[in-house]
Amino acid sequence: MTLNQALAVIKSRKESEGRIYYLACGFEPLHLATFLRAHLLERCAGGNLLVHHGVYGDLRGNVESAAQSPAIGSAVVLEWSDIDPRLGLRSSGGWSKEAKADILRSSLERYAHLETVIEKLGARMPVAIAPPSLLLPPIGNTIRAQSSALELELEQHLAAFLLKLSRLPGVRVVRPPAVATARLDAKMELLAGFPYTIPFADALAGSLAEVLCQPIPKKGLITDLDDTLWSGIVGEVEVEGVSWSQDHHTQAHGLYQQMLGHLASCGVLLAACSKNEISTVEAALARKDLFLDAASLFPIRANWGPKSVSVDKILKTWNISAGAVVFVDDNPMELEEVEGAHPGITCLRFPAKDAAEVWNLLGRLRDLFGKPVVMEEDSLRAASIRSSAHIQEMSADAASPDFLRTLGGTVTVDWRAGSDKRALELINKTNQFNLNGLRIAEGEWQRRLEDDHTVLGVASYQDKFGPLGKVAVLLGSQHGAEVRVSHWVMSCRAFSRRLEHHTLQALFEHSDASEIEFAFQATEKNQPLQEFFRAQQILPDAEGRHRILRAAFMERRGVLPHEVSNLTK
Amino acid sequence: MNDIETRVARCFSNVFPDLPPEELASASAASMAGWDSVAQVTLLSSLSEEFGFDFEIEDFEELVSYSLILEYLKKRFPDA
Repeated sequence: MTLNQALAVIKSRKESEGRIYYLACGFEPLHLATFLRAHLLERCAGGNLLVHHGVYGDLRGNVESAAQSPAIGSAVVLEWSDIDPRLGLRSSGGWSKEAKADILRSSLERYAHLETVIEKLGARMPVAIAPPSLLLPPIGNTIRAQSSALELELEQHLAAFLLKLSRLPGVRVVRPPAVATARLDAKMELLAGFPYTIPFADALAGSLAEVLCQPIPKKGLITDLDDTLWSGIVGEVEVEGVSWSQDHHTQAHGLYQQMLGHLASCGVLLAACSKNEISTVEAALARKDLFLDAASLFPIRANWGPKSVSVDKILKTWNISAGAVVFVDDNPMELEEVEGAHPGITCLRFPAKDAAEVWNLLGRLRDLFGKPVVMEEDSLRAASIRSSAHIQEMSADAASPDFLRTLGGTVTVDWRAGSDKRALELINKTNQFNLNGLRIAEGEWQRRLEDDHTVLGVASYQDKFGPLGKVAVLLGSQHGAEVRVSHWVMSCRAFSRRLEHHTLQALFEHSDASEIEFAFQATEKNQPLQEFFRAQQILPDAEGRHRILRAAFMERRGVLPHEVSNLTK
Repeated sequence: MNDIETRVARCFSNVFPDLPPEELASASAASMAGWDSVAQVTLLSSLSEEFGFDFEIEDFEELVSYSLILEYLKKRFPDA
């Protein structure tokens, strides 16, 4: 994006109001603020947004101001001059031996102060922090091509600081953009206190916006087997004939297997879809030298029918939509057939003969599935999908109360879960059992939780097949005897267990409300929620409002099969 | 408007979106509250990108009105 394009993007937004992001830096924000606003406008849905910033030369104070501001997200941009002004172009503090020793000593203190204020900021809103992009001034005793001990020590302090930040809730460390362009604009730095060239300011702002406004990660990956998970057609060359190793010059498949193993460890669902005999596939997947635990592939669909049909069955087993899934195959025809049958699915070709493209594919998969934090629920997901399938196999009427009672289920509703990121993740990822499809930005979430009227319940579930983790969230506000529910979601993994009834009952009990009003909106995908509303006769009244009285719910809820415990303050 | 005037007007419009076109010819740092030092750097950076050259440091002090900027650019690009 050029500066004029960024200005045009901003100009196109006529509104003077909007969601606020904060740019905290020690230099004049100038073009970085312009580019950040333009990139955020392009990436983030939800109308206009503004970028506020602080004063020149006070990064720490600006971070403190950001934490007290109504912003819903912050970008913190660090430069060496923020660690010590003597490391910038505009200072004349000297680079004597004593000064350098003092810079090293005081940098630790500076990092400690910054860590304290950034931690507070991260507790209120998502923070993207960019480490210094510019080179250190020429204070090393070595030639430029050789690192000096002083520079390495300064970089070591920086790395330790960033590592600590990366572990703070809400804080995300930005990887400096890889650009061929020059970064420092010395003339502009001396003239106006703005250190970056325009192309670099654009690239840095793009990275900050990308980290602040991340797309919803995909949930599952369906992989082809022949010439994708391994090299060769297993039906032709037999189980020992397929390969994925450096020795066979088929290491690209080995890298892909390792990537799938890594994704599985992060909670991504994996399944296999192959035109093969199932017995042949099972024999190949039983090979001990696979770089991927074959048990992490569930389900495995091997047959001679169209792959779109196999993908359909996999999606039904996972109970997620095609939009949350990536399909990888080496055959463009198969990709096209699946894409045509499942609009929204992300189809990627496995470029087996092009090592560079395989490497790019792995990077693309990282971006599609990457998330700021891997939560406990992510590691439970695959196991709970298996147990759900098992439950379906055990009983034709798996949703009947009699059957559900045999599961020994326990529902725990936590009404204290204010800082629980999983609750926000569920609201922003769930489509099917979702009251209205409305999403919440992280910063807006914090504002909601600060409101005394807010009611937030997070339901967890476990039964004899193991824990499902946190699977449902109710968010609303209480006004006397009425609760107004603005968001209600339940993970598709928890369907058919009557958890929606338990959750609603828990809300009536916790709030002691006589009536609950729902901010319901029909969406293309929230049929399960709509079915529940129809069954409970939560229908629009004369004013178009969706409400249910306590007495009516108690009458219609039926037998609830699980034990329930409420966690309150 | 000739080509230079059109391009300068576009840059002004991007940096000062609230400036009415009829007031463009008389626009100056002295007459516009929004034309501060930050706007000055943004405006000259926008023009620099549009015309593909770098202003000198002293230009940031001297080019403080639409007419001065237009005159400067017409001298610099006589064939445009």
